[in-house]
Amino acid sequence: MEEKLVEFANLLRENGVRVSLAETLDAFCASELTGLGEREAFRAALRSTMIKRASELPVFEELFDVYFSGLGEIIKQASQAVQDALSMSDQEFQKFLDQIEEMLKKEGKKLSELAKQLLQNNSGAIEKKLREAARAAKLKGIERTIEENYFARALARELGLDKIEGEIKELREQLEKMDLGQAMKARMEEYLERRLKALEDIIRRYVRMEREKRDIRQREDQRMNQIAEKSFYYLSEEELRKMQEAVQKLAQRLKNAIAIRRKRAKKGRFDIKRTLRSNLEYGGVPFKLRFERRKKERPQVVILCDVSDSVRNASRFMLQFVYSLQDLYSRVRSFIFVSDIGEVTEHFRTNDIKDALDVALKGDVINVYAHSNFGYAFRSFVADHIGAINKRTTVIVLGDARNNYNLPHDWCLREIQQRAKRVIWLNPESRNTWGFGDSEMERYAIHCDMVEECRNLNQLYRVVDHLVAR
Amino acid sequence: MFSSIDEVIDRFAKNNYIASRRIATVIYLASSLKKPVLVEGPAGVGKTDLAKVLAASLGHDLIRLQCYEGLDEGKALYEWEYAKQLLYTQILKDKISEVLTGTKSLAEAVDRIAKEDDVFFSERFVLPRPLMKAITSEEPSVLLIDEIDKADAEFEAFLLELLSDFQISVPELGTLKAKHIPLVILTSNNAREMSDALKRRCLHLYIDFPDRKQELAIIKLKVPEAAEKLSEEVVNVVQSLRKLDLKKTPGISETLDWVKALTLLNVQSLDQELVNETLDTIVKYEADVRKAQEELKDYVRRVRARRGADAAPGSSDKDLLN
Repeated sequence: MEEKLVEFANLLRENGVRVSLAETLDAFCASELTGLGEREAFRAALRSTMIKRASELPVFEELFDVYFSGLGEIIKQASQAVQDALSMSDQEFQKFLDQIEEMLKKEGKKLSELAKQLLQNNSGAIEKKLREAARAAKLKGIERTIEENYFARALARELGLDKIEGEIKELREQLEKMDLGQAMKARMEEYLERRLKALEDIIRRYVRMEREKRDIRQREDQRMNQIAEKSFYYLSEEELRKMQEAVQKLAQRLKNAIAIRRKRAKKGRFDIKRTLRSNLEYGGVPFKLRFERRKKERPQVVILCDVSDSVRNASRFMLQFVYSLQDLYSRVRSFIFVSDIGEVTEHFRTNDIKDALDVALKGDVINVYAHSNFGYAFRSFVADHIGAINKRTTVIVLGDARNNYNLPHDWCLREIQQRAKRVIWLNPESRNTWGFGDSEMERYAIHCDMVEECRNLNQLYRVVDHLVAR
Repeated sequence: MFSSIDEVIDRFAKNNYIASRRIATVIYLASSLKKPVLVEGPAGVGKTDLAKVLAASLGHDLIRLQCYEGLDEGKALYEWEYAKQLLYTQILKDKISEVLTGTKSLAEAVDRIAKEDDVFFSERFVLPRPLMKAITSEEPSVLLIDEIDKADAEFEAFLLELLSDFQISVPELGTLKAKHIPLVILTSNNAREMSDALKRRCLHLYIDFPDRKQELAIIKLKVPEAAEKLSEEVVNVVQSLRKLDLKKTPGISETLDWVKALTLLNVQSLDQELVNETLDTIVKYEADVRKAQEELKDYVRRVRARRGADAAPGSSDKDLLN
């Protein structure tokens, strides 16, 4: 049992669940208490000792089923299938098996051990033999789907399937000579044939199960990584959904980091006045020290998000990120622009995320089908909303700076920078293309404190880390 | 202590708590292995109740520590009783000449005072808080550390010593070992991820919302006077509400509140008007209420469609929710 548990723990680790040695030990103690007799109790014992995150529960459940029910279950199903094919009830089948046993006693002296067990439907013994064969065939090394056939053959070789086939053929010939009823003979024959098929079936399914063990979680992880590196421009529907999850996680991370920082900064300098006052009851002996409360830092963020066609996919995520940010900070003002600029703060506050994004991208606030004109947008912003910016404000601009050769009006950005704490520009275009064609990135970059390429999730992660670090 | 998983289920049932086999197994393991249990899950699925019932079914005292932001050792473990100590110093001042009479040298005087000084930081002046109470208690006890995710990360680190060795170090007194190892239940709403070190020391139990059948059984147990038909309808509605994306998903406690309220109003079965009027017992945000009403309209429509197939003429709008 120890061995199986250790192997199961390894399996969990391979699939991305962190299981420590101490936890494996706990699992062992716990499983001794519950015993193996009752499957659900055993499962609960392992689950409570080895899995400590709700998010890892699905992986556990899947692996537990594959690993522990695994082989026994497959064998049981196979023999059930044989029984069904012969259309016998449980009692009939049992009686039939007894008859077989009797026959084997008379005729089957030459049969190999495995063939006997197989015909007598002894699943425990079959399972043991299969496991031994699997070890010899190094089945644990299986990794890819295309290796299934190879390993199935290796397993069959280790089990001596050819020999069993031959033996069963011989048995069928003997059957002809025996004086059994015609019906019985036919039945026996069918049974022998189905049994042999069942064994092949078991082998195949066993191999597939072993392979599946290896890559349940790996697949997921790989997928997620690929998405993280993929540019926002080339995402499918399915990937879009995954991406949303990732953005939410990102926002959560931001939230956590900020919560921790606030707590650390809660206590300020020593407060003499309050210390004296609150220690009056102890005769002025300063037992309780009082500290000044720090003023809560309320970061103010103003976001300008380009939603023109050229950055359609990217801006969707950016807006999602903006939405999460707005949830996070109390003072976020969000603007979207193509050529005109419009405020969406209120929409984002009152609607849930889907509706909010629709409002922003469907053109209810501003005309989204115009040609991008950063210069005009900045000028309108300075004219109408410059009051939104003070020396505590962080301004984040999301856009590709493709200005369609309009006037860049970069003095507006300078004006914004002079009033704001800092200006951050996130550009979904590759850095190589900045400044070429109608891109005004270099002209605008002069007036930003930070300019980052932000075309996939990993880069967004980096930017967030950077933001949180200060 | 429990001798088997079934015993846990039985004893919990006697205390009006329906424990699934999964929960019972973990509790059984915790009591046998003397390990703390970290219970996670959405709000209102009976995490805190689990600890209360555990204490009741074992006949132990329940010692409860409610965590919050800024909770520190002084509030959780022990505090020195300053005022008493202060009083003691006053007495000491008066007595000091008496104590010191007959001493010849300074060293001798200091020695004498040092002897008395030990009393100053002794158990006499300790004000035990929940954690210390659980450790030093003469009787075995159940310690509930509620909403651990609300406490700071530092507090969590501080708990580690307690949870693995069941001892606490008080610098002035030395290490106090538990007389009886308390059964510890920690609950978390997952506002924050717990540290791995803490998780490693605990058994983990995730409680999710119950399915229809379980929820009905719970209502039957907790509000026996509720009409059967009513409870079924309530469960149907609540289960369908849980599928929505609400700010605060209604938990079991909300279901129970609702059934109790409706029973108090002497309602036998739900109708649209009644639902709208009492919806705020289960849904706690304005935006959620709106969403829930939308869903309920859909629900009524679906029921109507099903009813339509049965062709029950004369059924008024009022009992469509039935």
